[in-house]
Amino acid sequence: MNEKIEKIIITVLQELGEELEKESLENPTAQTRLFGGRGVLDSLALVSFVTDLEDAIDEELGQSVVLADERAMSQKTSPFRSVETLRDYIAGLLDG
Amino acid sequence: MELMETLQSHGEQTALVHGETTYSYARLVDRIGEYEKLLQESGVQQGDVAALVGDYSFETIAMLLALHLHRCIIVPVTSELQSEQRQRFEEAFCRLAIFMTPQPRIEKLSCGDTHPMIEKLRQARRSGLVLFSSGSTGKPKAMIHDLDRLIAHYENKRGKRLYMLLFLLFDHIGGLNTLLNALFMGAAMVVPPSREPEAVCALIERYKIRVLPSSPTFLNLLLISGMPERFDLSSLRMITYGTEAMPESLLKRLKSAFPKAKLLQTFGTSETGIAATSSKSSESTYMKLDDPNLEHRIVEKELWLRSGTQVMGYLNASMESFTEDGWFKTGDLVEEVGDGYLKIIGRSKEVINVGGEKVLPVEVESLLLQMPEVEDVMVHAAANAITGQSVAADIVPAKPTDAKSLKKAVRRFCKGKLEGYKIPTKVQVVEKTNFGGRFKKMRCE
Repeated sequence: MNEKIEKIIITVLQELGEELEKESLENPTAQTRLFGGRGVLDSLALVSFVTDLEDAIDEELGQSVVLADERAMSQKTSPFRSVETLRDYIAGLLDG
Repeated sequence: MELMETLQSHGEQTALVHGETTYSYARLVDRIGEYEKLLQESGVQQGDVAALVGDYSFETIAMLLALHLHRCIIVPVTSELQSEQRQRFEEAFCRLAIFMTPQPRIEKLSCGDTHPMIEKLRQARRSGLVLFSSGSTGKPKAMIHDLDRLIAHYENKRGKRLYMLLFLLFDHIGGLNTLLNALFMGAAMVVPPSREPEAVCALIERYKIRVLPSSPTFLNLLLISGMPERFDLSSLRMITYGTEAMPESLLKRLKSAFPKAKLLQTFGTSETGIAATSSKSSESTYMKLDDPNLEHRIVEKELWLRSGTQVMGYLNASMESFTEDGWFKTGDLVEEVGDGYLKIIGRSKEVINVGGEKVLPVEVESLLLQMPEVEDVMVHAAANAITGQSVAADIVPAKPTDAKSLKKAVRRFCKGKLEGYKIPTKVQVVEKTNFGGRFKKMRCE
């Protein structure tokens, strides 16, 4: 499952990168930092990314998740730090 | 003390830090003088309506003040989109535009028209200020302030040598409020290279910034970014937030992240100016309007204000949001919670509030309708935990398609035509848009 989620995240990032013409989003990996400290997304891009990702998960996995909610915001370490942390956070949501 | 006298009295104190350059108040006074001369030599007349295009910089601030001293009517424009700039020039009857890049480039505009309120200021030899707010009809409303009167409101501020961040934009009443406060206090203003959390936090640490005027969305992003752990932000004594509703849970998280800072809600409208407020406590979203200059009342849950610094009127809209005896209907719904404290519960108007930036559904709709792929569209607010609200579009497609490719097409189409925050983040394919009985689109979340 983790692999699948990671793939979805990476595809969404690449598509968003194309749209925003951001080269830094061409080849994301699990270690790619997303938001905050050398992250590839700025504030506005983060908002688009989160909605795109919610849609993609719904489409690919047939499950609807809300990624930007109180629960995500109040995590000690933000799930939006890197592809990895986000993948683990989503996996947790889908399990629960 | 008057503005120039006050600025002179600050002497060698730091006025502005921008990148690696520090500018003193004495330098600011000199530059204002140079620009006044430039305006004169370029044939700019007292009473001319001048657009000032640019973001905060030493040069822009100096030009703003030079235009004020030259008794011009100033139209600050921060948008980088040419179409939006031109629209604002037209709505405000601008005779010239000054592009700060960062040196000034003056362009004469072919506007022969004027407006009675502009003439009134011109005859009284007073400077003016035109701000825009989101109306409900698609066009932004241009409103005109008597800038002399607005500035007089800040005189007699107590001097305080501290560092403040210029976070809010200067075409916004909140941004001007920060600027005028800082100028009169003799504070040092710090211009951020971007409004991203990392850049802002680096400056707070470096300059030991004490005051951060911001918005709930930015503060939320700040916490998500993890920057408060990487930088020393202990210098912050006051964090103010306005422009949108503050979720209580966010306020709690802020309080624990910044235990030493006072969290204060600011409140104001472009129509009435910024009010002095106090929050019940740093953990409370209850606030009190305690400004001798401002009266308020609550009519059917809507907050009405009347202030000494309110606008003269609109240049391109009727005065329907004002009563005959001068009360401004803010469109903000509030609840009285005892002891004179108010709690903002929402907006009565159809404006989408994306992290404090107001978006008119009609503006986005009229652009989307230009797409061949779009048969009909309704734009509305979607709840968003990062920015409070975001822009969503329900589209009746011209040809069968799926939401994903339609969303791509929409974003591609809007890029460069709309400011980033106005571009829909969510796109849904629908069979028909939701019209009400009066053929008014029913927008709901």
